[in-house]
Amino acid sequence: MAIVFVTGVLTLVSYYVPHKTSVDYIETMNKWENVVAAFAFLLGLISLFFSHYNKIARKADGWGYSLFVFIGFLAMVLPSYFSGGKQMVDGVLTPLGWSYKFIYTALSGTMFAVLAFYIVSTAYRSFRIKSLQAFVLFIAAFVLILGKVPLGQMIWDSALGWTSRLGWVHNHVSDVIEWIMEVPAVAGKRGIMIGISIGAIVTSLKIIFGIEKQYMGKD
Amino acid sequence: MFKEQLQKFFKIDRRWIFLLLAIVLFAPIIKPIGLPNKTIAEATQRVYDNIDKLPAGSFVLFSLDYDPSTRPELHPMATALLRHAFSKNLRVGVVTYIAGSTGLIEDIFAKVPKEYNKVDGVDYVIFPYMPNILATITQMSSDLYGIYSKDRNGADIRTMPVLKGVKSYKDMSFIVCVTGTAILDYWVAYVGDKYSVPVAGGVTAISQPGYGPYLQTNQLKGLIGGMKGAAEYESLIKQPGKGTSGIDALNLAHLLVLALILISNLILLYVKYF
Repeated sequence: MAIVFVTGVLTLVSYYVPHKTSVDYIETMNKWENVVAAFAFLLGLISLFFSHYNKIARKADGWGYSLFVFIGFLAMVLPSYFSGGKQMVDGVLTPLGWSYKFIYTALSGTMFAVLAFYIVSTAYRSFRIKSLQAFVLFIAAFVLILGKVPLGQMIWDSALGWTSRLGWVHNHVSDVIEWIMEVPAVAGKRGIMIGISIGAIVTSLKIIFGIEKQYMGKD
Repeated sequence: MFKEQLQKFFKIDRRWIFLLLAIVLFAPIIKPIGLPNKTIAEATQRVYDNIDKLPAGSFVLFSLDYDPSTRPELHPMATALLRHAFSKNLRVGVVTYIAGSTGLIEDIFAKVPKEYNKVDGVDYVIFPYMPNILATITQMSSDLYGIYSKDRNGADIRTMPVLKGVKSYKDMSFIVCVTGTAILDYWVAYVGDKYSVPVAGGVTAISQPGYGPYLQTNQLKGLIGGMKGAAEYESLIKQPGKGTSGIDALNLAHLLVLALILISNLILLYVKYF
């Protein structure tokens, strides 16, 4: 706890003191932090391997999927080792570059793309306007989605273009979006950011002053 | 009877919706409709103006922190930003804090520098991946060579012409972070605000609204949002690319979502009140 207190206070003070000593201190801490982060990676990897090895050994439910953890690991790490960590040499893909392009990119893109299908399906099946709040949410979402694409902007202008002929002020959908983004959205986001920041400051102070000890495995 | 038939629509097998979306996405990719992108968002314009007004030879740092999952939105904008920087003869440095983005950076730099006859080490440098962003970007404020001594190919960076006179943030003219994560927040809080370096960003459409407060206070000098933002930037530099061609699919998919929400709610209203 004394180490945490001293390190915490020194680091906090160093942020506000532009003196060479504090800069040197921060530089040293940064280097240590990078070394610790590298070990954290290693620890995470070992933990992952043990967890999936145990699943395979015990033939737990879905143990077959655990095999792919090792297959995926080897498919990226072995080419990386033989390519010296380089993905391209003189414009030609190395084995690592090949694995990255044709395994990692394809799998990662597919996983994310699948989300789009679920979002559209959920939009149809679950977005029900059953209250005033839901109605307000729907109107905001409707305008935002419409204004986010050129075709939606064209539809908006075609549908409401007649208002300017009557001498009314015709707002383009982009103007309405700008207002939603700059007034209600920013107000909400700012409130959330202030709340999170205060929470982070309080938690940090609690750790520095030894009130919060969960990081040491204590309540 | 009619109501019962309508209610069947609520229980429609979701695979039909998947099929509809697949058609809506694939059709314009196979046969582009060429819908115009008429408006340029002010935040996108601000990024363009800030880069455009930099004198030739200025050093711009790009933090490209996205992996293949957000590639369709972020890769076109990163490519367009680098094209703009090279066309203005700016010196370019690239850092990344996402291991998965290294291959995408290689992909861009395999083709874009050639278009402008730019040479690795002379006109641009790509720093290796670093796992700990906070420690790294804090260190770069005093001496970037303390954390980066070599480029991603292991070459000594101290002798590189591209880094002549560049030691810390005070020697950099502009920082742009393209990311699908919260890394842009770190650049704003730990670098832009503290060292008064102009920072701009490129983010996915879903996270774009969250950066409104930073734009209002000018902590962010501009923001490119999603595929539409990428298409806007491509039209600003007059080089249509993947962002522009993806707009057709984006158009139809967005409108499909709207149509589905409207239809389901109209059915709900009819069933409930008529």
